[in-house]
Amino acid sequence: MELYLENGYTSLNKAHEELCGDKVEVAYNGDYTTVVLADGLGSGVKANILATLTSKILCTMVSNGIDLDECVNTIIQTLPVCKERGVAYATFSVVYMNKQGEGYLFEFDNPEAIYITGGKCADFDRKAHDYSGKTVYITELKLKPGDYIVMMSDGVIHAGIGMILNFGWLRKDVKAYLDKAVKPTMSARCVACLLASACNDLYLDSPGDDTTVAAVRVREALHVNIMVGPPVDKTKDDFYVARFMEGPGKKVVCGGTSSTIVARYLGKTIKTDFDFPDKDVPPIGHIDGIDLTTEGVLTLRKLVELSEKYLSTSDLTPKYFTKKDGASLLADILFEQATHVTFFVGQSINAAHQGLPIDITMKLKLVDTISDHLRRMGKVVEVNYD
Amino acid sequence: MAKITVCIGSSCHLKGSRKVVEELQYLVKTNKLDDDVELGGAFCMGKCGAEGVSVTVNDKYYAVDPAKVTEFFDDVVVKAVNEEKKA
Repeated sequence: MELYLENGYTSLNKAHEELCGDKVEVAYNGDYTTVVLADGLGSGVKANILATLTSKILCTMVSNGIDLDECVNTIIQTLPVCKERGVAYATFSVVYMNKQGEGYLFEFDNPEAIYITGGKCADFDRKAHDYSGKTVYITELKLKPGDYIVMMSDGVIHAGIGMILNFGWLRKDVKAYLDKAVKPTMSARCVACLLASACNDLYLDSPGDDTTVAAVRVREALHVNIMVGPPVDKTKDDFYVARFMEGPGKKVVCGGTSSTIVARYLGKTIKTDFDFPDKDVPPIGHIDGIDLTTEGVLTLRKLVELSEKYLSTSDLTPKYFTKKDGASLLADILFEQATHVTFFVGQSINAAHQGLPIDITMKLKLVDTISDHLRRMGKVVEVNYD
Repeated sequence: MAKITVCIGSSCHLKGSRKVVEELQYLVKTNKLDDDVELGGAFCMGKCGAEGVSVTVNDKYYAVDPAKVTEFFDDVVVKAVNEEKKA
């Protein structure tokens, strides 16, 4: 079984602040992923600088396998001392883990990370260690596929304090909420957004503190092949389709002509839907053996809009897709389900499209943007031009 | 039964195929022709250059102006249904 590690986070800024005092930093080094969530003392610029320094230093050092003692020392010596409070301080949580779910969790003064296993919340078995006079809790990780680690800044457990909750959102209540709300199909990104969004609600849309949730999940890899447009050399249609159909995983076809070519190769017929769940997106089609068949450029254009929202770490709209239009279905497969995406982009020019806002340059530009966004989501992306 | 296929490809979508589809669905219903007309969609018919949305009625091609769907329905669709009934 091929495993994969995914991560995602969402940050809420304290009301009226332009900068967030929490910072998440991610680094990939070989098989290992390092995710750091740091929370700087105070809020605004000062906190942002502390958190940025802490997360960047920790992430770089830990991902290069440097001893934690040295990492903590470096931070202590680097952080500027706050003039008013006379201390230099930022809290942090660090996950250092490989694709098999093995690694370490280091925590310093952040709320305890929540471990979701088998769909239920649990606590980690933490061991206290002393580093340069600071107590850092270390957990040896051994995650199973489908397990999540949810790290958070204290904005989460303080949500609603003095407003609608007397003591904030207690850890046991956060866990109860996650038990109920997290579905096994959700990505790490989706879970982070879900929890941050619940905090925002408790803060009545006016957070009293910077609030950040970062999630990491071990999961099975899912490869998706996506064909966009027919190849330039018509005589080789079958060759290209055969290559597209190769390998396990899901198959997606975008575009009318491409669908016709694929259907012909498979000896199937295309059935098209006649519903318009979204007025901007043309209906989808169905080919036996293909997981999703959509129209081309207009659907992709909508997909770019959806990917921008999906990527934004301050956007609180849910990251799962329930709408049934072509672009939403495609977004669900590419953003939520896929870990590896391979594009097969045909550069054949549809003469009738020239001059319309759906011509080939538009299509290539869209594929470019989408593949870039998918990479930023942490997917392994490959693009073939034919 | 008359078979009507409306193109829902990119180019026709931009020209207003959604409006054509919805109006045809409405007209078929209000004229009680549900048993005489089969509506369906198709990806690009390869006539993107035509002035209007590509529609076929029993495999005969028409380019339909989305503003004139009612006329198209009366002139072409109803006629095709009547002819089939006679036959």
